[in-house]
Amino acid sequence: METSADIIELMLPLKAEYVIIARLTASGIASRMGFDIEVIEDIKVAISEVCSKYVQKGSSLAEKFKVIFTVTEDCLTIAFNSEDKSLRCIFSKDDDEFAVSILNALMDEVQLCIDNEDYLLKMSKFLERKM
Amino acid sequence: MCRMVVSMKQELNIYEENLSNYVKVVISGEVDIYTSSKLKESLYDIIDKNRMDIKIDCSQLKYIDSTGLGIFAGAFKKAKEIDRKIYLTGLKSNIKKLFVITGLDKLFIIEE
Repeated sequence: METSADIIELMLPLKAEYVIIARLTASGIASRMGFDIEVIEDIKVAISEVCSKYVQKGSSLAEKFKVIFTVTEDCLTIAFNSEDKSLRCIFSKDDDEFAVSILNALMDEVQLCIDNEDYLLKMSKFLERKM
Repeated sequence: MCRMVVSMKQELNIYEENLSNYVKVVISGEVDIYTSSKLKESLYDIIDKNRMDIKIDCSQLKYIDSTGLGIFAGAFKKAKEIDRKIYLTGLKSNIKKLFVITGLDKLFIIEE
């Protein structure tokens, strides 16, 4: 029997002091899924990179943003959305070189610019890396 | 009734100790977008004030992201302008990995 994904949603104010909440939530979910401690630390850094960028680029069009965790048997996907669609494609190749390098190195799949109503950005980590 | 202005506890502490030929700096806690301004202010001030080599003890640094790494890069540049070096000690493996990913491991003298 196919099991469906569990979805956990977190709505956060676009404020620097709440980035830690996204990090701690990711840590709890990843730990419950069975990721080892090193990988959990990587996931925490990756989610923080994205949340920090939303906070930096946040505009008067949105006061909050949404983090959506999708949990399946072998994969954690973290997606982001905001009412302000100008927050799509927030990473620039020139100014955010460190952040983009970190995201690509630490996560298994990263989609930085999604043209979709439900998500603006999505990244995944597999419990065992896909062959 | 709760006050409307929210002030959250900062999870970052920075200690400075002047030794004979270098300044020892101990960073403990987490560096993210919320705490990074405190790190920048402290580190830049230590470089300007002492004009000596700096050894940063990172053994109690639990977490850092690209915001903090950018500040380390800025501190390196600032120290280099006055011909001083920055040493990093006690980096946890997950944090050292971030220095390698971003190429910052080539700028600093990283000691075990």
